[in-house]
Amino acid sequence: MNAALTALLLTVPAAAPLAVAAGYALVGLVTRRASRAVPTARGEARPRPQLAEKTVRHPGTAAGGVSVEDGKGEASDASAPVEQLLAPRARGRRPADWAGLASPTVILVCGALLASDVVDDGALAAYSGLLRADALTVWMLLVVGAVALIACASAPAHLAGERAAGRIPDVSAWRYHVLVHAFLAAMCLALVTANLGVLWVAIEATTIVTAFLVGHRRARTSVEAAWKYVVICSAGIALAFLGTVLIYYAARQAGVAEAWALDWPTLLARADRLDPAVTRLGITLVVLGYGAKAGLVPLHAWLPDAHSQAPAPVSALMSGVLLSVAFAAILRYQVIADAALGPDFTRVLLTGIALLTLALAAGLLVAQRDYKRMLAYSSMEHMSLVALAAAIGSPLALAAGLLHIAGHGLAKATAFCASGGILQLRGTSKIGRVRGVLAQSPWLGALFGLAVVALLGFPPFSLFASELGIARAGFAAGAGLGWAMAAALLLVLIAFAALATRTARMLLGPGEPTGESPSALWPLVLGLAACAALGIAVGPLGDLLSQAAAVLERP
Amino acid sequence: MNAVGYAAIALQVGAVVVGAPLLTGLMRQTRARLEGRAGAGVVQPWRDTRKLLRKEPISPVGTGPAFRWAPLLLVATALVLAVLVPLVSTDTPVRGRADLIVVVALLALGTLALALAGLDTGTAFGGMGASREMTIAALVEPTILMAVFALSIPAGSTNLPVIVAGAADQPARLTSPAGLLAIAALAVAVLAESGRLPVDNPSTHLELTMVHEAMVLEYAGPDLALVEFGAQLRLAVLLGLLASLFAPWGIATSGSLVAVLLALLLVVLKVAVLGMALAAAEVFWAKLRLFRVPELLAGSFLLALLAVTASYFLGGE
Amino acid sequence: MSEGLFTQLLDLACGAFLLAAVVVLWRRELVAIVRLFALQGLALAAIALLLGLHEDRWDLIVVAAGIGALRAGLLPYLIRRALTALVADQEQGETRPYVRSEEVRETQPLVNVAASLLTAAALTLLAYAVARPLVELDPTPATRALPVGLAVVLIGFFVLVTRRRALAQVVGFLLLDNGITATAFLAASGVPLIVELGVSFDVLLAVLVLQLLTVRVREAFGTTYIDDLRELHD
Repeated sequence: MNAALTALLLTVPAAAPLAVAAGYALVGLVTRRASRAVPTARGEARPRPQLAEKTVRHPGTAAGGVSVEDGKGEASDASAPVEQLLAPRARGRRPADWAGLASPTVILVCGALLASDVVDDGALAAYSGLLRADALTVWMLLVVGAVALIACASAPAHLAGERAAGRIPDVSAWRYHVLVHAFLAAMCLALVTANLGVLWVAIEATTIVTAFLVGHRRARTSVEAAWKYVVICSAGIALAFLGTVLIYYAARQAGVAEAWALDWPTLLARADRLDPAVTRLGITLVVLGYGAKAGLVPLHAWLPDAHSQAPAPVSALMSGVLLSVAFAAILRYQVIADAALGPDFTRVLLTGIALLTLALAAGLLVAQRDYKRMLAYSSMEHMSLVALAAAIGSPLALAAGLLHIAGHGLAKATAFCASGGILQLRGTSKIGRVRGVLAQSPWLGALFGLAVVALLGFPPFSLFASELGIARAGFAAGAGLGWAMAAALLLVLIAFAALATRTARMLLGPGEPTGESPSALWPLVLGLAACAALGIAVGPLGDLLSQAAAVLERP
Repeated sequence: MNAVGYAAIALQVGAVVVGAPLLTGLMRQTRARLEGRAGAGVVQPWRDTRKLLRKEPISPVGTGPAFRWAPLLLVATALVLAVLVPLVSTDTPVRGRADLIVVVALLALGTLALALAGLDTGTAFGGMGASREMTIAALVEPTILMAVFALSIPAGSTNLPVIVAGAADQPARLTSPAGLLAIAALAVAVLAESGRLPVDNPSTHLELTMVHEAMVLEYAGPDLALVEFGAQLRLAVLLGLLASLFAPWGIATSGSLVAVLLALLLVVLKVAVLGMALAAAEVFWAKLRLFRVPELLAGSFLLALLAVTASYFLGGE
Repeated sequence: MSEGLFTQLLDLACGAFLLAAVVVLWRRELVAIVRLFALQGLALAAIALLLGLHEDRWDLIVVAAGIGALRAGLLPYLIRRALTALVADQEQGETRPYVRSEEVRETQPLVNVAASLLTAAALTLLAYAVARPLVELDPTPATRALPVGLAVVLIGFFVLVTRRRALAQVVGFLLLDNGITATAFLAASGVPLIVELGVSFDVLLAVLVLQLLTVRVREAFGTTYIDDLRELHD
């Protein structure tokens, strides 16, 4: 494969979403100027002005503005049926919303093309090693692409619902698209770069870009979530940068030239020469710092707030892939640390963090009263399982962990998008006030239920296979890890019970059928189908998965 | 050497005893002139002392030995300090005993004696002043220890004459971060220890704010004269110590009488300049609220601690 | 530049850098805190400049100029602008005159000032203890000052955790970042240029985002006390 094509394939996953974001920004600016010129046309270029007016005038949700009750997600009950009617119809008339599918498609195509090359030829690099793709990169790119496809494809329905409820003016819809695609670009950059400094810059960029997505409703709760999110993540990520600096210092002292001292393959090759004490300090900081972004203890407090306040597709992206992109960064450092310090250090560190996170998530799931927060804590639970897999570090555990990342991404994205639908349907995110979703809206309810079933780890979904793999690897790895695994399984069981009873409460019970149209829900069906397919047979992805696990294997 | 050494001590003590009230007078005069008043003159403290000494000794009913002995103890500790602290010469017969820790202990002993006396009177003001003084002292003593300790690290000894002689030899020690931080910390500590603004106002009798004055409110006649004299001695010695530590130029390190006389002249000059600068600064300062005082002192303690760490870690090879 | 003079000047710059962080804990007025932060930026630029002169590296001198412009000029300017916006907003909207002083001061930090200062002392000692392996790896004048950077990181974290005004927390975050940058300079004469650029850009954007969020917090809650943000909990 020639160099130019490699460079192109490595550049495009990050560049294409950026270009899409820029396109949205330009169009947004133009429409904004136009709507300013004609103040009465406040984004109501909608084909059915009467219907729009009717929904906009709904009490408690004045157009554009957001009242306090609105912030608690309790306000727009009565308008719900109208939204449901409106959502599918508005779909075809908003081509701009659908243009957003371009970036996930490009990411998936590039991922697929890279996959065939990487499986045959090994790692590819471009721009003198700045961008690099190995099997792990490609696997994560495919996961990002797939989850982004679900999120972007369910965005039009979500936005239509929000517009109908008058919660967002047109300008902020443009801003939503710009930020989502910039977010995708930052995540892809974090994946394809081999420079650990650039990796940090990209992950910090995801925080900055998503801040306004979390706080986009301007209600008290959203602003609070956004503030916590930015402050905790930025401070946590700053720790990771300090760790990066220390590793850089150790590499420079080990005689690596300045230009290569943050290059991942170089660091891996020279890892045995890094000073152990400095590396230990650096790795601890990196794990804590990127752990903040991956939702691991002790800097996890932002996660449930941000996930519950962000719009559903953004929650899906954050929970489905942002956490695992940050965790992929930890995995990269783990390989270096294992080569420099031996496997025990990161094993103890990651096992401890994983068990603490798991205990916290299970405990808070038991007492949970908000279904979006429930899903957020379930994400923490799954990330701690992945961390446990990384701590075990055998080929089986690593492959299972990577499969778990993919399965969790797909299932959680589906669950969050479905929960967004339920929120628009019922106007509240309190579990206690939602009954009979299945009777009221069978498709939505069934999809939400199936997604939760997938998250619980039932076959045929891939989380069953991956959890089984992690457990087997854990018990095979020795007495200490065996006990840790047993404790983890007990905690997973508690989380399982909590999640199952809460979801059953929400779905079952009597309800008025609303006559929903299932056509807007195809992305969710696709996500669940993909998750199930991965669980039944990895198919052509098997080689990629085993090679990705081999990238992370201990020397 | 011995004769000159004893002469240096005698000169130093004589200068401190004669000069301490004059220093206070000088500071009051400076302040008065800056505020546009004529002032009472530099020798007014001596006149006050003379007047007080002529009065009949009186002590309040119900006070015990703590009240009676405190003024004497205060003056005695201050005089011992005046002997020990190397102001004129570093080469004196007592230099082996002029240890940093002894100096701080003597300072604390004087403070403690006054605080006990304040408690002994059994009045509200006495107790209040004593409690405030102890609060301040608890933060000031460690600060002085730390600051001088920071300076002692490059010298390798806690002996004050050795530190001063070392600093006179190598002035670069003082411009290092450790030296600068220690100067700042010690300056704040000296202000607090000698009861000056912004920690305590020496010329107030307002019950809400006074610290030192509240403790000695019940004294009259010769006892009051002693207390005032003790306080003046402490101020003079502390300012002299500050001058010796941070501007040690000219201090006699050898046994020649000329050097000692020159050093005496210089130290009188330095202390006078320091005192005038302090008085001038006090014109522009307001007293801190009592609850803010611990912040200031904790800050100076932190500076002293930073000075210690800096001289340990930055300087050491 | 002679070795001795370089060490002396570097130590002075590091001392000023640490001192600025400590005094931030001391002061309550946000204006004074921002001014101290600007001073710290200057000290950081001085560290980079000294290293650049010492190693004869022109790129470091350029980086030093950039850091000075960003951290002593642009970022303090942004925070000060947010501050004046908050105050002006308040004066317009409300008639109570004493409220103005409330919004520009950190009146009640979670830990009082005296205790904060003592904690800062403990944090400094901790930084020295933690940094011992770092210094031992390559003891030069620059790496020997490494604990200063780590101490500022810890103090920044402390400010972030204990201060309750939104803008004071922003300054805490920036102190943290200054500390990390200083660590990078003292340990390895700075990270590669592309990373340095990216980091500076990210920090600038983060401050802009936090500034906007401060305005929104004020709109939504009527105050910038972060303690009032307690609607989301389990």
